[in-house]
Amino acid sequence: MLEDQDMSVQEAAAVAQDARARARKELFISRPIVYTAWGLVWLFGYGAMWLSVRGQHPYTGPSGVTIAVVFVLAAFAVATVLAIASKTVAGIDGKSARDRRIIGSTWAIGYLTLLIVAPVISNSVSTRTLAFISFAGPVMLAGLTYILASVLGRDRPPLALGAWLVIVGASCAWQAPAAILATCALAGGGAFLLMAVIGTRLRNHGS
Amino acid sequence: MAAETELDPVIHAPARLRVVVTLATLRDGDSLSFTRLQELLGLTPGNLITHLRKLEDAGYVTTVKTGSGVTARTSVSLSQQGRKALNTYSAVLRQLLDSASPNGTSPH
Repeated sequence: MLEDQDMSVQEAAAVAQDARARARKELFISRPIVYTAWGLVWLFGYGAMWLSVRGQHPYTGPSGVTIAVVFVLAAFAVATVLAIASKTVAGIDGKSARDRRIIGSTWAIGYLTLLIVAPVISNSVSTRTLAFISFAGPVMLAGLTYILASVLGRDRPPLALGAWLVIVGASCAWQAPAAILATCALAGGGAFLLMAVIGTRLRNHGS
Repeated sequence: MAAETELDPVIHAPARLRVVVTLATLRDGDSLSFTRLQELLGLTPGNLITHLRKLEDAGYVTTVKTGSGVTARTSVSLSQQGRKALNTYSAVLRQLLDSASPNGTSPH
């Protein structure tokens, strides 16, 4: 390995390019991987719940088993993404670390609040309102979190995704419970998968 | 304008170039632990310390030690002066590459 030896300009250019590419690969969380994980969880999670309520008259909601499976799936995705992220950002401190803590806290507090509030108000609101809070609430929360991430990181792609998710979630206010689940699966999960494809293509073009 | 056509000798060494370029990929205001930097670059701790000292003496990197004992940790970041120096180095490098002679020989 070259240490303090003389370097030609061509060698210097190659060393710099290689170091830059390595640093970008090792020190930054792969967005396509994260988007793919969330996309699949939303598509299959919301999709499974939609399948379990399709044709329900009157609507009574997804079965307990379906909800439990969705929670396990989501927990697995969260654990996987956190493991990948932790390994990638290990040793990085400063503004990025602070922003990650803000985003992580926002996300955690928001979802916990939804988990606690939904059962508490379930007896005092209509089925449709409860479905909106329970199913579209997480979508809008995810959207707002991505918008926050975009502002903190001065980064455009999360802004577009975040805005879309907020719109998707809000649009559920006009929909019946079963339709809410289908919308979240396709428009929500689909958006993440589309971002994964776009992110991969942009990365391949840039490399 | 000799300074603008010569490669900065502080940066123009394989290991130090890799250090500076790696730190430059971080966001402004971020730092990287010594351990992670060493792991990324594949240098021995002693080797990395030597190069970091040279860069620190030139004002290009900042090292901060926190904690003590088992929790002691050294963080390394590129200073504004270091970013500017790398930008200048990159511009000069591009210039030299562009003006490399057609028969393949190039200036050091």
